[in-house]
Amino acid sequence: MLKNYFKIAWRNLSKYRFYSAVNILGLFAGIVFALLIGAYIWSELQVNKNLRNANRQYILTTRSTDPNVGYELATFGPIAKSLKEEYPSLVENYYRYDGVTSVVSKGDKHFREGLQIGDSTMLKMFGFEVLHGDVQTALDNPYSVVITEEKAIKYFGKTDVVGESISIQSFSGGNHDFNITAVLKNLPTNSISNLAKDYPNNFFVPMSASNYFGRQGVDSWNNIFIASYVETREGVSAKDLEAPIRQLVQQNASDQLKKIITVKPILLSDYYLQQDQGLVKRMLYTLSFVGLFILLMAIINFINIAISRSASRMKEIGIRKVLGSMKRQLVFQFLTESIILVSIATVLALLTYPYLRPLFGQLVGKDLPSLAEFPSYFVCLPVVLVIVVGISAGLYPAFVLSAMKSVDSLKGKLKTAKDKIILRKSLVGFQFSIALIVLIAAGVVSHQVSYFFSQHLGYDKEFVVSAQVPRDWSSAGVKKMLTIRDEFSKLPEVSDVSLSYEIPDGANGGQAPVYKFGSDSTQAISMQILSPDEHFLSVYGIKLKFGKFINSTGSVDSSRIVLNEQAVKVLGWKNDNDALNQQVRVPGDNTVYTIDGITDDFHFGSMQTQVPPIIFVNVTRTHSYRYLSFKLKPGNISQSIEVIQKKWATLLPGTSFEYKFMEDTLRKLYANEVQLKKAAYLATVLALLIVLLGVLGLVSLSIHKRIKEVGIRKVLGASVPNIIGLFAREFAVIVIIAGAAACPFAWYLMNGWLNNYAYRITIGSQPFIIAISLLAGVTLLLVAVQVTRALKQNVVQNLKTE
Amino acid sequence: MLELKGIYKWVNSGNNRLFLLKDVDLSVQPGEFISIMGPSGSGKSTLLNVIGMLDTFDQGEFTFLHEPVHKLKEKQRSSLYKQYIGFVFQAYHLIDELTVYENIETPLIYQDIKSSERKAMVADMLDRFQIVGKKDLFPTQLSGGQQQLVGIARALIAKPRLLLADEPTGNLNSKQGEEIMGLFKELNKEGVTIIQVTHSEKNAGYGSRIINLLDGMIQNN
Repeated sequence: MLKNYFKIAWRNLSKYRFYSAVNILGLFAGIVFALLIGAYIWSELQVNKNLRNANRQYILTTRSTDPNVGYELATFGPIAKSLKEEYPSLVENYYRYDGVTSVVSKGDKHFREGLQIGDSTMLKMFGFEVLHGDVQTALDNPYSVVITEEKAIKYFGKTDVVGESISIQSFSGGNHDFNITAVLKNLPTNSISNLAKDYPNNFFVPMSASNYFGRQGVDSWNNIFIASYVETREGVSAKDLEAPIRQLVQQNASDQLKKIITVKPILLSDYYLQQDQGLVKRMLYTLSFVGLFILLMAIINFINIAISRSASRMKEIGIRKVLGSMKRQLVFQFLTESIILVSIATVLALLTYPYLRPLFGQLVGKDLPSLAEFPSYFVCLPVVLVIVVGISAGLYPAFVLSAMKSVDSLKGKLKTAKDKIILRKSLVGFQFSIALIVLIAAGVVSHQVSYFFSQHLGYDKEFVVSAQVPRDWSSAGVKKMLTIRDEFSKLPEVSDVSLSYEIPDGANGGQAPVYKFGSDSTQAISMQILSPDEHFLSVYGIKLKFGKFINSTGSVDSSRIVLNEQAVKVLGWKNDNDALNQQVRVPGDNTVYTIDGITDDFHFGSMQTQVPPIIFVNVTRTHSYRYLSFKLKPGNISQSIEVIQKKWATLLPGTSFEYKFMEDTLRKLYANEVQLKKAAYLATVLALLIVLLGVLGLVSLSIHKRIKEVGIRKVLGASVPNIIGLFAREFAVIVIIAGAAACPFAWYLMNGWLNNYAYRITIGSQPFIIAISLLAGVTLLLVAVQVTRALKQNVVQNLKTE
Repeated sequence: MLELKGIYKWVNSGNNRLFLLKDVDLSVQPGEFISIMGPSGSGKSTLLNVIGMLDTFDQGEFTFLHEPVHKLKEKQRSSLYKQYIGFVFQAYHLIDELTVYENIETPLIYQDIKSSERKAMVADMLDRFQIVGKKDLFPTQLSGGQQQLVGIARALIAKPRLLLADEPTGNLNSKQGEEIMGLFKELNKEGVTIIQVTHSEKNAGYGSRIINLLDGMIQNN
């Protein structure tokens, strides 16, 4: 019996190749997408799960009432250590690190790398796998370094490099050899080496090296930039840590920090999904929904096409019933068919997975696990998928078809199927709505993303390239750097060069509380400090509204500062020029600063937040700098870059020119949004594909049912467009209803998303009109093609079918 | 063998009740060969379908082999007709996706007969109708007469007591028609009760009794 089912199913599939292909394609699209999303979700859930005691390891995070003070993922330098020392019954171990970037060299290879200057407990605590070297002693010596497999290969071309040495630059420009004492197996994504997503750390040096790097102060309670982890003893909960933490902060922290900062331990196994206000978690939910909906659409498609094909199956069903088939047996037969179809689609999906994996991985910004990396019990997943999808897709058609009266089916009467036309139309309407929502969302997201990159930035990103320079944060160092800057600006390819600590990527060096001279210091408002040179405005094309910008030539009066408009506003001056030459102070600093100029507001960071109040302080005063920014002259850009590169090699020997266009810097700043845009595009393509397959099924049914009518009309002289219009009308109604349902929902959804941004587009009618006309247009095209094809057949033959 | 008593079947169109069958009384003895005749729309096929339990009726009693059909559930009815009744259609109604062999085999599959037994029975049948050479062909590769032969073979495979034929020669030329009718005569001699619907007086002549239908009512019996 089963063999018979398979046989007839297979013959049916191969006889109606077109429909089978349409069906399989739709299911394939749904399944492969679900598979990719599933793989992504699984790998995201795996993060931190492999750490040795992740279920009792906590990261100490910072909650701050002042958005300009403190980082979520770092905390007071000494707190983890004090917890272990003062509460040994609660805390078993701790690890802290100071994350820095510096130039690592081996021979003529120089790269800027992320380093962790951390406690030696790192290797023992988290159980990272060691390929070579001794975990117990690896970080004992101050000039020792532990690196990962990947970096060993990058610098040495092999992994067994224990005993070799690499040179790491200190921030004062010196170089020192570090002895490689251990090589770690490549680290899976985790919240220790990947805590800051954009700066993966693959070099680990002991805390005793902080002197060399000039990063003293790990044990200072004023340092709130140290990532800290503690491992509790068995049975100790996060709650048990709270009181000791509060106690330590009360005892040690400064009054100001005490007021605004709370330290919260978060379990490492939860942390990854929770970080950034649950960004990862929300992303996973969104993706799961999208995946489920796409899969649902594929299933709906299958149902539609199966029912629409019932016409051609009806005779067979009738005969089978006359020959004594039970309803149940017919149901089984149809389920067998749907399961075979789904199996083919699933096998195709599994076969293409390895090829789509890197593409999708790029999209979500993460390597997806290969099929081999899944645990072995995942083998049954495709089987479960086949059965669940096969049954859910096949059940309805199976029951509808097998329930028809045998006499009716023998006569090929579609009466029963006709009754279900409302249901089928609502299914297609549902698909249309989803497709419209996805289309509109893609339109809005892409509009908002291009808004990020547009002239609304407040500065000109075109032809601007930035590169990190080696640090020598002293008066002499700045002077030297300024000379180098001037050398660069003499290049004919370069129109201007600026030395600064910040570039407009949202990452600035620090904040300062600022208050009007003469008012109360408790009213100080926290401002972002930017420390550029005098060329900053011209390189970035930021407008100066009043006064003059900082000046570092000639005799430098370092008490002169510049504010942006926002800073003027928050300090309480009504007009910008009221602030000119006024004086401000910083609590605890005796200098009285004079406002020399006021710049236009520009988006220093993400448009998610308001433009912050900014205070510009001359780089010659702060002595800290990171970037040279080059404004290139329009022309052959790659050639200009090459010229700068050559000049760089002579001016800054031993360092690498790792440049970045401002466009790319922004792309990194808006990585999530850019990703979302790409994902929305992909979902759009999939949704459209599946919807159109559904339309295909419904149109072919319509044509099949009305073939006689079409024949008569044609004989009576109807033109092809007339007849196309006849069929298109059916869909026009569905599109209109779907549009009416989808538009308000899409608006609500996207408005909610846009509300995350302080600077956002307003949703006009455009995305709705475009989405609806696109869907309507493509549907019309599809109807036209099918109707035209059907009309090519002999009309008389169609008339003879009754 | 079977008895119809006061069978009515109607459809409602608007306020009118349109009768397809009206007060039909009919009793059929085993071994009879009955021809139902009448103009188009007189209810011949409907009557045949009711007898074959493919269609329901609205009023009346129908006893088949001492079973009250009007009281049976769909499932019981289905098992009754699949055991005792074979159908032959004007348009043959073979399953296009199955070969000759598989078409003939299908009723046996639905009666849960074992594979080896099925093979023997189908082989016998192919032999009897001299279509062994065509067993692997699909219906569309056969002529109309050959297709009807397969249809009859399929109707007979489960050894039914009653053979219902709805204009079995309607789509055939006269020579093929004669062959089929000859075959029916032969089957009837072997003890199969046959009820056929036909337009042709000549075909009706093969039978032992003729029933004339007009507007759903039996005219003579």
